[in-house]
Amino acid sequence: MVALMPVGNIGRSVPRLESRAKVMGQAEYTHHLRLPGMLYGKIFRSTLPHALIKSVDTSAAKAVEGVFRVVTIDDIRTVIPHPYYGPAFHDQPVLADGKVRFAGEPVAVVLASDPRVAEYAASLITAEYEELPAVLDEVEAATSDICVHDELKPAATFPDLQHLKGRRGTNVALDYRLVRGNVEEAFAAADHVFEHTFRCQQAMHTPMEPFVSIADVRDGRMTLHTASQGPSFVRIEMARLLGWPENRVRVKVPHLGGGFGGKLYIKLEALVTSLSLLVQRPVKISLTMEEQFFMVTKHACTFTIKSGVNNDGKVVARKCRILWNGGAYADIGPRVTQKAGFTSAGPYDIDNVEIESLAVYTNRPPAGALRGFGAPQAAWAYECHTDLIAEALNFDKIEFRRQNLLQEGRPQASGTPVHDAAFEKAMDQVADRLDWHKPFDRGNGRIRRGRGLAVGIKGITSPTTSVAIVNLYGDGSCGLYIGTVDMGQGSDTVMAQIVAEVLGLDAEAVHVIHPDTDVTPYDMGTLGSRSTFHMGTAVRLAAEDVLRKIDDLAKELGLPPNSNLPVSEMLRKKYGMQAGNIIGTGSFIPDYKKPDPETGQTPKATPFWGVGANGAEVEIDTETGEIKIVKLVSVVDAGVAINPRAVRQQVSGAAIMQMGFTMTENMVFRDGQLTNGSLADYKIPSLLDMPEQFVNEYVESRQHSGPFGAKGTGESSTIALSPAIGNAIADAIGVHLTDLPLTQESIFRAIQKKNGTPLPEDDND
Amino acid sequence: MLGFELSEPATLDEAFDLLADGDPGVRPMGGGTALMLMMKAQIFKPERLVSLRNVGGCFDGLRIDADQSHIRIGGMTTFAEIERSPMVLQHLPAVVRTMKTLANIRVRHVASVGGNLAHADPHLDLPPVWMAHAASIRIVSKSGERVIPVEDLFAGYYETTLGDGELIGEVIVPVRPEWTSTYVKVTTRSAHDWPALGIAVSANLQGQRVNDLRLVLSAALDRPTRLDAAENELRGSDLSEAALKRAGEAAVAEADIHSDSRGSAAYKQHLLRVHLSRAMHSLAGA
Repeated sequence: MVALMPVGNIGRSVPRLESRAKVMGQAEYTHHLRLPGMLYGKIFRSTLPHALIKSVDTSAAKAVEGVFRVVTIDDIRTVIPHPYYGPAFHDQPVLADGKVRFAGEPVAVVLASDPRVAEYAASLITAEYEELPAVLDEVEAATSDICVHDELKPAATFPDLQHLKGRRGTNVALDYRLVRGNVEEAFAAADHVFEHTFRCQQAMHTPMEPFVSIADVRDGRMTLHTASQGPSFVRIEMARLLGWPENRVRVKVPHLGGGFGGKLYIKLEALVTSLSLLVQRPVKISLTMEEQFFMVTKHACTFTIKSGVNNDGKVVARKCRILWNGGAYADIGPRVTQKAGFTSAGPYDIDNVEIESLAVYTNRPPAGALRGFGAPQAAWAYECHTDLIAEALNFDKIEFRRQNLLQEGRPQASGTPVHDAAFEKAMDQVADRLDWHKPFDRGNGRIRRGRGLAVGIKGITSPTTSVAIVNLYGDGSCGLYIGTVDMGQGSDTVMAQIVAEVLGLDAEAVHVIHPDTDVTPYDMGTLGSRSTFHMGTAVRLAAEDVLRKIDDLAKELGLPPNSNLPVSEMLRKKYGMQAGNIIGTGSFIPDYKKPDPETGQTPKATPFWGVGANGAEVEIDTETGEIKIVKLVSVVDAGVAINPRAVRQQVSGAAIMQMGFTMTENMVFRDGQLTNGSLADYKIPSLLDMPEQFVNEYVESRQHSGPFGAKGTGESSTIALSPAIGNAIADAIGVHLTDLPLTQESIFRAIQKKNGTPLPEDDND
Repeated sequence: MLGFELSEPATLDEAFDLLADGDPGVRPMGGGTALMLMMKAQIFKPERLVSLRNVGGCFDGLRIDADQSHIRIGGMTTFAEIERSPMVLQHLPAVVRTMKTLANIRVRHVASVGGNLAHADPHLDLPPVWMAHAASIRIVSKSGERVIPVEDLFAGYYETTLGDGELIGEVIVPVRPEWTSTYVKVTTRSAHDWPALGIAVSANLQGQRVNDLRLVLSAALDRPTRLDAAENELRGSDLSEAALKRAGEAAVAEADIHSDSRGSAAYKQHLLRVHLSRAMHSLAGA
């Protein structure tokens, strides 16, 4: 292969290819799509968290003029005999099947050609229930007699869940374990032992574009137009549900208005597919912002962490026990449990580690993947715990971390050696941006100031596959066919930069074909910071394949070596006119070795490490608990930044999102009912909540196994952001908060408690 | 939501006729910003909305009486018009300042001052400000009109004392050169949240001495409410820490505050004490 000189596409802040179309309102979204003869579905939802359905009265809805049909699970079963789906467990019915497992679960659907008629009619449906006791808290659910499901039904696709098959009388959907060394012996020998428990709340993805899917079944074929992050998975799972070959299911995905892990696996797709199959017309369901709370959420969790530390500052043992509140259906929760579990001891080099991470069913809306895949919940515990230890033993917080951070080549808790993970560099850059080593005025009056930092680690979902096709047309222009979904992160642009770099083109001239499973090849999904690394590599390989084929063509045409004849001229020579294609393909799956089921040990747990460090400076009004984030710093390891501006945008977007999960966002339940299910009552950050100084950067580094030295970074700044703020609050007021979110009231309560004048508890009315 | 009829009558008489049948599905509409949210949430399903945008008369305009004693704000005046009025800025600066933290610029360009009052959501920012300013409203109906203080409008949570066929024609605000006013929007979550408490204060001060004052609490109660006992603690006294502490305790004792998603009762009571005191200090400092 000819060695290539870089042509200036890598490390260039190429403007997003789709910017103009988006600004002009011309970008394509599923929400805009209307098909001839299309019906709209509106969902009737359960009002109880756990109950047997005695009857559903749809008569009033059916009587509304313009209603085409009202559908329950009995109707679905006439076209799909076993209407259950899910990526890890086949536990979720297309519509409630005799039982509801959370308040807000879909029970029936009204179809009408006017969405307002469907909505009105759905409001006339009533159901009679026999109420069952509900279990909402993950700690309680782990040992409760109240079982959300009678029996565990793992999907065949996850071999490591097969031991759970048929298990009854439990809410624990996965019991992940990791054992390294001997923690109990190490605790006994350690100079100090610390134990703390931390909690995270349930939260929501809040994409600006709510969930929307359209199914169009006709003549034994189906086209799904859907706002999905994983079109290939959708095709496979729908083909399984229908008992059809994959080539009869076509899944098309245009731009997404945000996904954040919510639009993965099966969401509305199974429902619209069933409905379209039933009525043989296109069916569209678009959720309202309020309905999104009932689709998929971020796991609440309870994490108890225990560490043995010696007087010299070395952490010698760590034990982690995490219970993840998975809600009523497993979704990808067991994977979150396992992946966040294996890094839950933090980015530290500890000889003795024991981790137990449990996925627990409860009667809440299901929880799944959300930007960070559980890593931020784990880091909330281990990085607050790190500061608590440093304070107790009077260690410098940076030097204590430095002493224990994983260095190049050292084994992480899973036994996998750490390579290309710039933990220390990122931490030092955060410290520098916070002026950590300069004097800091904490104040001594009503206003107190504090600063904190934290470092996070994340493993990447593995093993996963990406396939790419690069197509040079007769005139030499280039099309790139990939299943990566551009949902605002800029993947189209970055992938175009990679192709362009290999082929010596301008990124701006590459046309990226959006996911269409009839056209674009397989990709596991746009998730978990994997696209730049996995798809980026597949794209590079496909482009290199094109180069090889150009060489072959040159030889075939008898051209002299290193001929400068353009591809268009070669094709013209071969075909006698502007015609033909040069098609290169690339396929990538990273090395992976399955962890030992007993110990979680493996030499190859992840293709690369997610690395992020965060810092915060806060100002607190001790009279009210009011908090101002004066400065928020995020520094990530992105390897070589293929598109520096896009990286910084990812870092800042993820930081803002995690700031919401840290400060204000919280799904509040009373008696199993969500009490704040609207954006008026569930508060995401607005522009006015942005920190005065908002610093988003990356370190100089290289991921040697990545395309042009790059790795993914869509989640890196989320990991350790919450503990950075929590540690800053503790620095200001002298108390560590253990539960997210860090509301003004919780800060004020902590201050009052410390002062010996606790505020009376909530009157609960 | 099914279809509904939207009428835009050109005269008040026509509007009264369209509203006449007493059907709860037939409602008058100002800017419609709150109604649209209720309709989207299916809480309100109208049959007919009667927009007052074209009825004219006292519903329109923003003026000051010839003797400079009162400002009259037509019921259909938008928040943006009030926000940008030099006359309002001169005589009612606290109203203009309140606008800056109220909803957003798109809503302020559409929302009407009369519709805002008639909505009677206790979290709204302007009603307590009008009450602190001792404002009245002119209520018009087919059979005539009456003028009542703003505080007599609110009967409870989203409830008013307006009868069938009665409309808020204008808001009448006395010009009181010797008074100063402020509104404190206390949010406990994100900046654009509804207030946990709204505290509107208007006072006639002589240095640190309080000749007279009006204190109004909103958001934490089912309707904006005058804090009479707290006013009595401060009226005629100096703004000493002791007096402010007594006023804070009186306010907490007379206000029936409950827990909600913005804070527990105990926390909001504490915030009331702190922000009432700070508001008085800010007026005295101004």
